[in-house]
Amino acid sequence: MSLDLALFTGINILLAWSVYLILLTGTLSFANGAFMALGAYVSGVLTAKFGIGYMPAMAMAAAASAVIGVLTGYPALRTRGIYLILVTLAITFFVQTAIENTKFVGGVQGMGGMMGTSFEIVYGSVIVVGALIWLLSRSPLQRVLDAVREDEHVAGAIGINVVYVRLALFGIGAALAAYAGGLYAHHMFFVAPDHFTIIVSVFIVLYVIMGGVNNMWGSVVGAVILTVLPEAIRFIGEWRQGVFGLLIVILLLFRRDGILPFRSVTARSGRKADA
Amino acid sequence: MSSVLSVDGVTKTFGGLVAVDSLSLTVEPGEALGILGPNGAGKTALINMVSGFYRPTAGTIRLFDREITDLSLHQIGRLGIARTFQNIRLFRRMTVLENVMTANPRYTRKPLRAFFGFGGRRHDIDEAMALVEFMGLADRADRIAGSLPYGDARRLEMARALATGPRLLLLDEPGAGMNEEETERLIADIHKCRERLAAIVLIEHDMTMIRKIADRVVAMNYGRKMAEGRPTEVLSHPEVKRAYLGTTEGELV
Amino acid sequence: MLAEQVINGLVLGSMYALIAIGYSLVFGVLDKLTFAHSEIFMFGGYVGVLTVALGVPIWWAIPLAIVVAGIQGLITELVSFRKFNTPDGHITAALSSFAAGIVLIDVTQKFWGSDPKDLGIPNTIYTASTELFGLQIVYIKLAILIVTLLIMIALQILIARTRMGRNIRAVAESSTTASLLGIDVKRVTQQTFFIASALAGIAGLMLAMRGGFADPNVGLSFGLKALAIMAIGGMGDVRGAMIGGILIGVLEGLAFQYGLGKLSEVLVWVLMIVVLLVRPNGLFGRSVNRELRA
Repeated sequence: MSLDLALFTGINILLAWSVYLILLTGTLSFANGAFMALGAYVSGVLTAKFGIGYMPAMAMAAAASAVIGVLTGYPALRTRGIYLILVTLAITFFVQTAIENTKFVGGVQGMGGMMGTSFEIVYGSVIVVGALIWLLSRSPLQRVLDAVREDEHVAGAIGINVVYVRLALFGIGAALAAYAGGLYAHHMFFVAPDHFTIIVSVFIVLYVIMGGVNNMWGSVVGAVILTVLPEAIRFIGEWRQGVFGLLIVILLLFRRDGILPFRSVTARSGRKADA
Repeated sequence: MSSVLSVDGVTKTFGGLVAVDSLSLTVEPGEALGILGPNGAGKTALINMVSGFYRPTAGTIRLFDREITDLSLHQIGRLGIARTFQNIRLFRRMTVLENVMTANPRYTRKPLRAFFGFGGRRHDIDEAMALVEFMGLADRADRIAGSLPYGDARRLEMARALATGPRLLLLDEPGAGMNEEETERLIADIHKCRERLAAIVLIEHDMTMIRKIADRVVAMNYGRKMAEGRPTEVLSHPEVKRAYLGTTEGELV
Repeated sequence: MLAEQVINGLVLGSMYALIAIGYSLVFGVLDKLTFAHSEIFMFGGYVGVLTVALGVPIWWAIPLAIVVAGIQGLITELVSFRKFNTPDGHITAALSSFAAGIVLIDVTQKFWGSDPKDLGIPNTIYTASTELFGLQIVYIKLAILIVTLLIMIALQILIARTRMGRNIRAVAESSTTASLLGIDVKRVTQQTFFIASALAGIAGLMLAMRGGFADPNVGLSFGLKALAIMAIGGMGDVRGAMIGGILIGVLEGLAFQYGLGKLSEVLVWVLMIVVLLVRPNGLFGRSVNRELRA
């Protein structure tokens, strides 16, 4: 596996987790490609045009995306189901159109001048974020999120502020997507609006759905498979794209609940069960 | 001492349909109030307003002199009103223990602080297990809630409600679909819960349950109060018999 | 000029409407979203290319588009929808249909290249026109409008008057009840996919006829816009999709007229959000608030 592919895999794992975190509250976000774009452009502009350091720029990009995530999420999260999918799709369209029409960042042509990234930075981030999500899965917060996802009205009735929880996770997911977007921009040295189309947003969701939505490892497996697979079937040549699509259809058919469908129990009684 | 709950002139309309029509009632400390009425009489709509699922069209609702009419669902939950649902609503993918632990007010009130709540893990489990045991579910604490038989599911729903530390518990037809034996056990369970609560409101069709649990009964029809008083009085009220039951006197008493 | 843009808008809108109706039919019957729909629409244009290449008269493209797109719809139903019938299956089905769409795009590009493909119809067809009430009417636009209108009328009759339409409506209302009444839900689902896809195929063909070329990239831009239009009209509501499509087409035409070219691309998404915030079930959607009936 080449370094390039390894870095993309790491970045895609972070992106998958950004959707996974939002999905913990039952919100399926097709807007993470947009948050990724925000992160890529904000961190790119800050480093290339204002000479701000790498990590401060990344942090500011994540913060900016979180703010925009919360601002757009507030109206968006009033909708449910398919409407919510459409509203988050719309966010992706808006951000892409906005970038295309902003001369300062190069419009359709895109912009360059980023600093590059390294294996250590990308996989250091994967490990830190992974550790945080793992801690989350062992904490009482996991159950609060599960409750919101499973029945938001009952969750409200037992005292959970559902709007706040969903919005907070949407903001956190937006920040993580932006962070991954920043890594992407620096790794590529160049970004353009067509790197962040609706297809990117859909694929990030696909990582999570294909891997399994009930645990953090599903996102990893999904991201790795869907990043490496196109390279692994490179020998097919020109039909690669079609075969890739076909393989996705087949994988989804045979693992209908995801490749790793299990949910980890967060607490055990330590008693013997009844026979 | 002030009433646990006072509902004052509450009305709820859906479009042109009046579900509850300027209804007033109070629930006193230590009391179990039964609410009786035919389907569509507005009983569930009333509970939904008290618990914050619906906002009343008019009128006020107070919990211990604090007005809660316009508060949101979670605020009302935090102030001490818990409920169960006619069609049991559990977190079906969680275990029995997890269902009860989820309702722990330490974490529902400050969700993001719950992220740092590893420390109290053993304590949380013990606390929740005490309730699970209280409801007689200890031997199936690690079972997935969705796989529980009806009676156990109902008991778990009550345990989860108690875990929020409520002062008032609203039970919406807890005995629906239960046989005689199960109903007997449910009555015993509800009596057990009473010692932990300031008051109970019970919506029920089942006369046995109303008579064995309620200290006082409010009969509703067409969203209005038809009669109010001791169970035997209300159940023998001619209007109640005519409107709601359409059954013979023998079945009633 | 203004009237001309309105006519252009009508032509455009009638195509939006055809695609949106398809989304709406599928959503009504299955409660699911199909992303392959926009690519089946895209392929409709290539049915036009195919027809010209075969050397048969161009109007043969219409029945051909119905058959080809219909079969694509049946395949989509088979691979991306039939097995995903759990509550969580909704989104898996949508993503699977998205992947199916990728396959269709790739196949198209392998045969006809990734650039727009000229239909090879004589150019005179795009200039032949007549003057009516001081308006320059191009025949081909008129023909497109007439064809799409006829198809919408035929669809209305099919849904409202035939046994098949009655079954479709019954399944849309409640598939459980419908199957209890002895309706073959699987078959109705297939019929719905066939009809919905045929409509998309024709819309794709009409778009290609209007411009004189088929484009492998219209699915994601044009096709997804129709999805927003369905939401504006109200999910699962055929009439809403129809009116919504034409409304958006005309609005885009007007936006273009007033020099808002770029903005007209996002106009439909802005409108969708506004509509959803004011009327969460769309302009014509029935407001069902099942969740709160505790």
